[in-house]
Order: sequence, then structure tokens, then C-alpha cells
Amino acid sequence: MLLASLTHAQIKADDVQSFTLGNGMKFLVVEDFSIPNANMYLFYRVGSRNEYQGITGLSHFFEHMMFNGAKKYGPKEFDRTMEFNGGANNAYTREDITVYTNWFPASVADIMFDLEADRISSLSIDSAMVESERGVVISERSTSLENSPWALLTQSVQAQAFQEHPYHWPVIGYLDDMKNWKQADLERYFKTYYAPNNSIVVVSGAMKTAEVKRLAEKYFASIPEQPSPPAVNIVEPPQTGERRILLEKEVNTPYLNIAYRVPEANHPDYYALVLLSEILSSGNSSRLYAELVDEKQLATAVFTSYQESFDPTLFNFYAVTNKGINETALENAVYAIIEKIKSEGITEKELQKVKNQKLVDFYRQVETINGKSNNIGTYEVFFGDYRKMFEAPEMFNKVTAEDIQRVANTYLHVKNRTVGILKSDTSK
Amino acid sequence: MKFMKAIYLCLFVSCMLLVSGISAQDFKLPAYQQFTLKNGLKVFLVEQHEVPTISVSVIMPAGAIYDGEKAGLASLTATALKHGTKNFPKALLDEELDFIGASVNTYASKESAGLSATFAAKDRNKVLNIIQELLTAPVFDTAEFSKEKSRTLVQLEQAKESPRAVIGSYFDKFLYGDHVYGNIISGTVNTVSGLSTKDLQNFYAINYIPNGSAIAIAGDFNSKEMKDAVTKLFSGWKKGNQSGTDMAKQTISKPVNNRVLLINKDDAKETTFYIGAPGISRNNPDYVSVEVINTLFGGRFTSMLNDELRVNTGLTYGARSGFSPLKNGGSFSISTFTAKETTEQAIDKALEVLQALHQKGVDETSLTSAKNYVKGQFPPRYETSSQLASLMTQMFWYNFDESFINNFQKNVDGLTVTKAKEIIATYFPKDKLQFVMVGRSADIKKLVEKYGPVTEVEITGEPKKAF
Repeated sequence: MLLASLTHAQIKADDVQSFTLGNGMKFLVVEDFSIPNANMYLFYRVGSRNEYQGITGLSHFFEHMMFNGAKKYGPKEFDRTMEFNGGANNAYTREDITVYTNWFPASVADIMFDLEADRISSLSIDSAMVESERGVVISERSTSLENSPWALLTQSVQAQAFQEHPYHWPVIGYLDDMKNWKQADLERYFKTYYAPNNSIVVVSGAMKTAEVKRLAEKYFASIPEQPSPPAVNIVEPPQTGERRILLEKEVNTPYLNIAYRVPEANHPDYYALVLLSEILSSGNSSRLYAELVDEKQLATAVFTSYQESFDPTLFNFYAVTNKGINETALENAVYAIIEKIKSEGITEKELQKVKNQKLVDFYRQVETINGKSNNIGTYEVFFGDYRKMFEAPEMFNKVTAEDIQRVANTYLHVKNRTVGILKSDTSK
Repeated sequence: MKFMKAIYLCLFVSCMLLVSGISAQDFKLPAYQQFTLKNGLKVFLVEQHEVPTISVSVIMPAGAIYDGEKAGLASLTATALKHGTKNFPKALLDEELDFIGASVNTYASKESAGLSATFAAKDRNKVLNIIQELLTAPVFDTAEFSKEKSRTLVQLEQAKESPRAVIGSYFDKFLYGDHVYGNIISGTVNTVSGLSTKDLQNFYAINYIPNGSAIAIAGDFNSKEMKDAVTKLFSGWKKGNQSGTDMAKQTISKPVNNRVLLINKDDAKETTFYIGAPGISRNNPDYVSVEVINTLFGGRFTSMLNDELRVNTGLTYGARSGFSPLKNGGSFSISTFTAKETTEQAIDKALEVLQALHQKGVDETSLTSAKNYVKGQFPPRYETSSQLASLMTQMFWYNFDESFINNFQKNVDGLTVTKAKEIIATYFPKDKLQFVMVGRSADIKKLVEKYGPVTEVEITGEPKKAF
């Protein structure tokens, strides 16, 4: 901050330095001395997509076990050492990837690299820790179901929309699988997926690239490369008709999830679909909010989501029915809005609006060292090149109103959707 | 996820925001300017040029403590600022802000009301103009309010589907009794039902005043130009007079014995609970030391609580503790959740850990660790324009300045093991604990009777005025 000048120090693609170790471990580095801190984000290409029935939820459980002891730093020592040195960490697991995040004063980077290298090279799976950690993830699953109806509804819709592909089961796993994971499953998982050549490391903050490189060589270079993990071969067959599911849970008013099957991040339609999602639900002036929540008061909340993925995924609509409103009326009103876009398209002003929003979002993402690392890593993993992150504002700019109308027509149709309704009494 | 920081994140972050100051090595807060307009509005300006955006934070003495009998009034008044002004009726306002990707949020907390905004630097004139109108000339449109109110009523019912969404309000009510710090920010179904735009107008007229308020602007601008712009925009905001007694200054009665509030949720599979006691006010001279000890006790992953309830026993996904300081008092709470079958085990463990804090205290190593952690995690809290703007309004609200900020590291470093013992004995409760639980009464009522006399209520019901 002291160094801030009057010209924008805004990050550019060329500000990202990159190098790859002999074992295939790729590093991306952003030097940023605005605060005396740095971070290290490690992206592994493994998630619930790599599981099968019997070991569902294992990727996420493994994420937990990564904190439970390795050769040099035994059980509890990873967190204790990190926190003693002023560092903090977390991790998250998705369908496609598992990400480990460390935030620390740059002055203790050496210890952070040592901690990460220790667990990646020689994790030691302690059977007592497996049992106590099993209780932790079962509690994690339970508390998510306890505190929101969305967990149950979205899991059920996803299971209907994907009948063969591993996106069928929830990231957290099935309860019975959670109770039965074996130590051998964990050990095999570690060997197969936690290889230097299956990861991307991003470091942002108050460190010189040369220093990051020195530490990377020192701690990670000796970890052996592994054969590529087995490919996920299952391709979800085309959907041939609408699917519907009803769920019962004590709620005040019905919850609705409508999911359309759409392509993965690398598909040319990705950018148009992202903008379509924003047009539908970003801000009070968006189509869904303005009409369903504000004007007609059919819903108390409505939103959409479309996230980057390796394989074809879902474009989701979520809505909570207002009191005294029949959920069918809400569902039909959602379809009417979709049909209007399909037949009449969108206005140039709407398009410009979401492009403007995307640009401000981009600024927000690169304002912090954590935003930089998370986004650079996400683009590198899902789009194959971190430079795509810097091209994103331009890619969004290229999308036309016709593109939006075309993707709405291509994907948002009845035979391509799965509808889930959660309410207190499904017989009514 | 490895750790759900979200449960306590807000609490802890806001605490940290208040602590503020300088931590690791060469970390310095950027230079800022402050001045006061003739109407009493305090202004802070911080230039930040990393990205071409600007963030605004406004704080006003219009929080839920002024609700009186009308719980939810402060919150809905703040929300209704965005129902539009004469020049910007709601639909136009939404459209204008959305079109440029600007976010402008208005809200009420316990003591204050606030506005926070982030937008592209090039749109600064337009957005500042809108902010000025929202704060000084809202129209409180009846039709818009009627929609907002009916939506709020449904949302209040929906919140009862989630133990985590309601337990905090019950805890405050239980702990503070009829003191205004027990006021429920969101209101209740009964109180919100009775609100009208007239109530909002009255509340606005009394409490949304420049004297006693502050605006902080951080981001990509030139301070001299911004000073002129802010002076021009906000000088016309009429000074007010918030008359009446300051209810927040009334004595907070202290609990005299252990008590249990059991909130029955028939379909609960977990027991979600807080164990709490009175805490400290924000201006307590030991504030920083208390935060360091809390870090060690329940404020981070390796804390005593999380280590025992999660890592050693697998009873829960996460266990935490925190202080929530306000101007004239505050609360302390341990919070976690567990399967209903392990309710007793988890509560007993939490109490054991609290007892261990008192009996064993802390040693040199654990204290050093907590101090390093607090200092090391400090700089990222002041990295963005929006964090800096919010820090400035907190400085204003709780009346601390650079001298306090500059002593932060010294205060952290100065905490010795001996002093730590005094801090524990003085500020961490030993007895007269307040237990608040959301769970299935039929399964847990008998066993929780051992913690103290039990008051039982239904989650579907209306929270009482005081327990």
C-alpha cells in the first residue's frame, strides 16, 4: 500500500510468473508486496468425480486426513506448527478438484513449504485419526442437512440429473459409505491422486519469484512423479425427457430447484451461459428477481448458478415459494421468463449491464492476494491456462444478444431439465 | 471443507476489525485524511489505487437498540432506504446501480445502521449522488414497504427451519434480558406485522442524523477532489437531535445462577448450543489481551475447544468461542453442535475445557503461538478498500485512533503468562453460565436439566420479550 502510485497497479497476465519442476509440479507466482503476507493455494485434480459407489465422499474425507499427520509433522503437528508461526489454513473439495489454502506472513514461507512437502511426499494415515475424523465429516454432513433444506434438495436433483456419471452422488458422500471407508482406500487415493504432476500451486504475496522457486526446488523437487490417474470414462447419456422428484421435509413454503444440463467450462458456450445466468438473477433488476420476487411476489428468493466443471454440468434455478402461493404457479412463472428470452431475446442494455457487472467482479477478484491465487488457479485447472482469467472480460465482451438467445434455446428446454420440489406434504 | 469458519467468522472478523492496528514487521495502515462537516458528519478518506474501484462505509446511530417495542424497526428502516427517493424510485434505482455493477447495501446492526458500497471509480459521481439521496431523502414508499414486509414475515418463519439462523438472537435475549442489547435485530413475526411506513419515517427522522454519523471512502480517487465532492454532497444533511435517554447505557443485569433455555425443534437430529456469559465492552483496556486468550481457547483451529470437541473426539465439525463487544457491554459464548445422541457428552466436554482453561491456564509456548497467530493473520484484514473503509467507521464508532492502532503489536507482545492468568480469571466465566440449545426436547430435556433450571420454548413460536 505504501508503494501504491497514482497509476493503476492492476494485475496483468504478464505479472504471473510460471515454472514447472522436473517432476511435473507447476507453480504460478504473483509478486504483491501490498501487505507483508503471502499465500499458497494447491489445486489437485481430484474430487468426487473420481469416486465410485462404495467410496463416495472419500475425496472430501481425504482432504480432512491431509491435516492429520505425515512423516516429519505427526498428528496435530501440521496445524500446530502453522498456527504457531502465524499461519492459517483451510481446504475445500468439489466434484472436480480439491484445493488446499495456506495464509501466512511471508517471513515464514520456508516452514509453509516444508509442511506442504511433508504431507504430499509422506502422509501417514493413522487409524485412530481416521476414526475421530470420520465423526467430524459425519457431523459436517449432518449439520448441513440440519440447517438448510437446500442440501437435501440439490443433492436429490443432482442425483436425478446424472444417472451414470459420478456427479450423481454428493461431494460429502453417502452416509453408509462414510461409515465404511477403509484405510486402504485412503492409501490408494493418496498414491494415485496426490502426485506433483497432478497439482497446480499458486503463490501470491510478498515473495519474489526467485525465492518461491528456490523453496519449490528445495522442498518439492524430490517428490517422485506418478503415472497419470485413471481417466473418468463415463459420459452421461443424453437426457430424453423431463425428470421430476418430490421430497418431504418440514418447511414453511415449498423450495424449488430446476436444473438444465449444460456444457463444461471449456465449451465455447461457457461465457454466454454465465452471462445468461447473470441476466436472470444478478441484482434486483434481473429478470427473475424483478418479476417473481418484486412484481408478482410469487417467491421470497430466487437465484441461479452455473459453475466451471470438467464434464458437462447443471445450470440451476433455485426459488423459495412465497406464502399462499402454489409452487406450480412459481415453477410456471420461471418457465415463462425463460420462454420469453428464448423467443424475444434480451435487450442490448441488459447485455451491457451484465458485462459491466463482470468487469467490476473481476476487479474485486484481483484486489486481494487470496482472490488472485484462487482465480488464477481455478482458470489454470478448468480452462487449461491461467491467462484465460485475464482474457475473461474480453471473452464476455464478445458475447452478443443473439448468443444469449441461442444458448437459452439450446439448453433451457423441457426435455433437458430435472425439477425438484421440497415441501412439508408431498401428497398435496 | 476442512473447517467451517463461517459460523464465527463474522464475530471474529468484526472483533479483529475493531482491534485493528499494526502487526507483522513492516505492515502499516495507509495514510488517511479525516475532517468534520459543519453538520457534524465525520469524513474519512483513504486513497488506494490497486484496482479502479471505490468503497464507501457509512455508520449512523440507528441500530436495533432504538427499536423500543417495535423489534425489527431499525432493520426495516435501513432496508427501506433502498425503496427509493424522489429522483430515484426503486425500479430506477435498482436499474441504475445494477447497470454499472455497483453494490449498495443498507442494514442495521445492534447499535448502529450502516451503508456499504463498492463501484467502479469512473462511476463515482453517479453512485455518491445516489448514496447521498438514499441517506438524506428516502421516501419510504408504502407499496414497496408492504411487499418488503410480507417477504420479511415469510423469511422470519423460514429462519426457524435452521437452528443456526435463530440461536444467536435467543442467546442475546436470554443473556441480556430486557436490556436493549437483547433486542432482536430482524424483529419477530408479531412485531414486524405491526410496522408501517409511518413508523419508519419517525425512526428515520430521529436517528438518521449527520451528527453522530461517519462516512469513510476508500479507493481509487484523488483525496482533494473527493473532499470537495463529499463536502458539497453532504453539507446539506440537516443536523438532528437524538433526544431521550440512552437506553444502551442502562445497567445490564448479570446472571445469578446457571440457566438453560431449551428451544424445541421437533425434527432436529442435532443439538446446536451456546454456553455463554457476560463479556466485555469494546473500550475495555484489556480488549487485545482478551482476544489473544480467546484465540487460544476457541478462536482458531488448534484452539482448546476445537481440539477437544473435534480433533480428539469427533463429536462435532467445529467448536468455537468468541467475545461480541459493544459500547456498553458485551457477551462471551462457546458455540458448537453435535448429534442429539452425543448432546450430554459434547456439553460436558465443553465445560471441561472451560474448567481446564481456569485450572491449567496457558503456558509460554501456547501463548506465543496465539500471539504469533493474531499478528500473522492481521494484515489481510486491511487489504481491500472496503475493509479499510469499514475500519475507519469502526474507529469512529468505538472511538479509537492511531495511538491505539500503533500499540496493537506492543499490546499483543506485552501479554505475559502471569497477565494471561489474570485475564482468564477476570473475563472468562467459571459459573453462572447461560445455556441456550436448539434441539429435540423429547430426547434431551431430561439430561440437560443437570446444567440448571430449564425454560422450554418452541422454535415455531414467538420469542418472548425476555426470559
